[in-house]
Amino acid sequence: MTNELNYILESKNVNVYYGELHALKDINLKIQKNSVTALIGPSGCGKSTFLRVFNRMNDYIDSFKIEGDVFMEGQNIYDKKVRVDELRKNIGMVFQKPNPFPKSIYENVAYGLKIQGIKDKEFLMDRVENSLKQAALWDEVKDDLKKSALALSGGQQQRICIARALAVEPNVLLMDEPTSALDPISTAKVEELINELKEKYTIVIVTHNMQQASRVSDNTAFFYMGDLIEHAKTEDIFRNPKKERTQNYITGRFG
Amino acid sequence: MTNSKKNRIKDKLFEYFGIACTFFGLVMLAIFIGNILIDGLTRIDLDFLQNLPSRKPEKSGILTAWTGSLWILCFTTLIAFPLGVAAGIYLEEYGKKSSLSSLLEVNISNLAGVPSIIYGLLGLEIFVRVFSLGNSILAGAFTLALLILPIIIVATREAIRAVPPSIRAASYGLGASKWQTVWHQVLPASMGGIFTGVILAISRAVGETAPLIVVGALAYVPFTPSSPMDEFTVMPIQIFNWVSRPLHGFTINAAAAIIILLLITFIMNGIAVYLRNKWQKKISW
Amino acid sequence: MTLLEQELKDLRQELLNMFLAVNNQLTKSEKSFLEFDKDLASEIANSEKRINSLELKIDRDCENILALYSPVAVDLRFVLSVYKINHELERIADIADGIADYVNDLDSGFPKNAVKDVRIKEMFIQCKSMFENVIEAFEKEDTSIARRVFKQDELLNQINLNGSKNIIKNYSEKNAKSLFFLLSCVRKLERAGDLIKNISEELIFSIESKVVKHKKKK
Repeated sequence: MTNELNYILESKNVNVYYGELHALKDINLKIQKNSVTALIGPSGCGKSTFLRVFNRMNDYIDSFKIEGDVFMEGQNIYDKKVRVDELRKNIGMVFQKPNPFPKSIYENVAYGLKIQGIKDKEFLMDRVENSLKQAALWDEVKDDLKKSALALSGGQQQRICIARALAVEPNVLLMDEPTSALDPISTAKVEELINELKEKYTIVIVTHNMQQASRVSDNTAFFYMGDLIEHAKTEDIFRNPKKERTQNYITGRFG
Repeated sequence: MTNSKKNRIKDKLFEYFGIACTFFGLVMLAIFIGNILIDGLTRIDLDFLQNLPSRKPEKSGILTAWTGSLWILCFTTLIAFPLGVAAGIYLEEYGKKSSLSSLLEVNISNLAGVPSIIYGLLGLEIFVRVFSLGNSILAGAFTLALLILPIIIVATREAIRAVPPSIRAASYGLGASKWQTVWHQVLPASMGGIFTGVILAISRAVGETAPLIVVGALAYVPFTPSSPMDEFTVMPIQIFNWVSRPLHGFTINAAAAIIILLLITFIMNGIAVYLRNKWQKKISW
Repeated sequence: MTLLEQELKDLRQELLNMFLAVNNQLTKSEKSFLEFDKDLASEIANSEKRINSLELKIDRDCENILALYSPVAVDLRFVLSVYKINHELERIADIADGIADYVNDLDSGFPKNAVKDVRIKEMFIQCKSMFENVIEAFEKEDTSIARRVFKQDELLNQINLNGSKNIIKNYSEKNAKSLFFLLSCVRKLERAGDLIKNISEELIFSIESKVVKHKKKK
């Protein structure tokens, strides 16, 4: 990777502690704009924690402590002046299990805008339609937007969650194992979607499925025991990783 | 005899024992209700509901008692519901895990177990005397509200805890504040559980006698209350009063009033069950 | 050991068997050629069938591993290289078989002088040495041994270049058939050298992830 590339997120010497546990150790990583970056590693390696560093979702954990700087487009997001709700409008998140609100499809997608105080019905409808289209769900649900989102299939629910995140027009989309609860066909749809979304958004995805990482991502970062072991182009990681630990992990020879 | 045969016999024996245990309570209840129904059913008519209490049993009615109960019910709910739910939300969503919060938690659980007469004495001292509310509906309602507050708080917390954390995470992830998350997501999703708890608590309050006697509810009130500061009586006190009279006619009145009181309690429990089922069906995670 | 590791170990053993079987064919073809031993030549033709079926089996195993285990990185390179080496080995076996065919086809032996002039014995020895080198490189996963064959191949090329000239020198009507066969054998052995070189390239790719094909080798 050369320097001319445009980086949107950057972590500088980030250390994270949960009480006594040193969960992330001196992580330096830059994330390229309009690319898909996959974070891989065994359970408990810190990849999910690292993902949540970017939208400060760890702040709710009492014992959480962070050192170092995290920048989004040059702005330190852990600065006292930064408002967390503003930050999260810029950095959307999709979770492991589809977690639509127990409300209608429309209400789900419009929620992020409504809590910003937007009441204009036409504007809301426009955004809802757009977001659902981007999430490749519009054709499936356009006739029953009033239906409860919980009545949809798991794959559709997850795409609702993606549409919901897109509705507030973020720059970055964080995805925490977005397909681990989905069947292969829904998984394929979500992966296809990720590939399309990267035109407009920067995507960081945590995944346990290495083939998924190799399919959807441009860059891959391998974490192990809180250390960032290797970060490179995905094809380099999967063809010829530089570090032995990475190789052991991706070929399944671990421990 | 083989071991498996022995086991089978033991199994059967316990089954019969269990059936006996189950039916013991039910049979007792059935006998009690049957007795009451035989005594009181014929006494119930529109007049019984509309008449004021009187010295003559056949002219006596429960108008003051049930209106008093209704007043007490409304005010108790108005006081206890917001207080209890707000406290529950605070403890579950805002309260940090500290020694203070665990102290609070232990005390709330303890409060739920305090005998109701103690609440009566507390109400007498604080509401009747210190706040000089007198023997009024308001004093009674405050006292009962205090009594059921712990139940509502516990029920609220249980209901809130049942809302999956993923819903909160989703809301925070979209930039919602804590209050927005509680108001738009957590409360609507836990309302079924909260209502159920509140209704069960209130149906307990309807049957309470001791604290109200201490606070000063009167056995004989010759008028229906027209403001929260009026004196009052409630159904259980009316029943208690009638039962202790020597005339047989009053015993029949008491039976009839018990039927009405049981009816109210059953209806409220029914509403609670209905609400729970309805909300559970709507939200399945 | 993971399931994939077990499969790869089995595959490695199978390919080693293939290596050894082909080495056997090569040795036998040399002997049958130099001693004009027709019995041995028939034996080679029979063993060829066994090698063909071994080739198919390795092919299928590679396909299975790719389909079922989705290997990556070093594992993927290993399977890919086994797949290719397998084919090269089969073609080397074909060469041994082809030489045996010529032996079977001739009534009398090859003209002694011509055999000496075209230096075919040297070619056989060089081929065998190269082949043993790639077997050792494969067994020990040692690319420095594999790299030796690039230099060794130059001798084969050089002998081959002078092949036609030496045949013409010995040409006579009577010997025409056996001389053509002899020249074909020279060509075949030169080809075998190239195939061995390909195997060496695959080994280097598999172990070092370096592509040395179509590049100047050191």
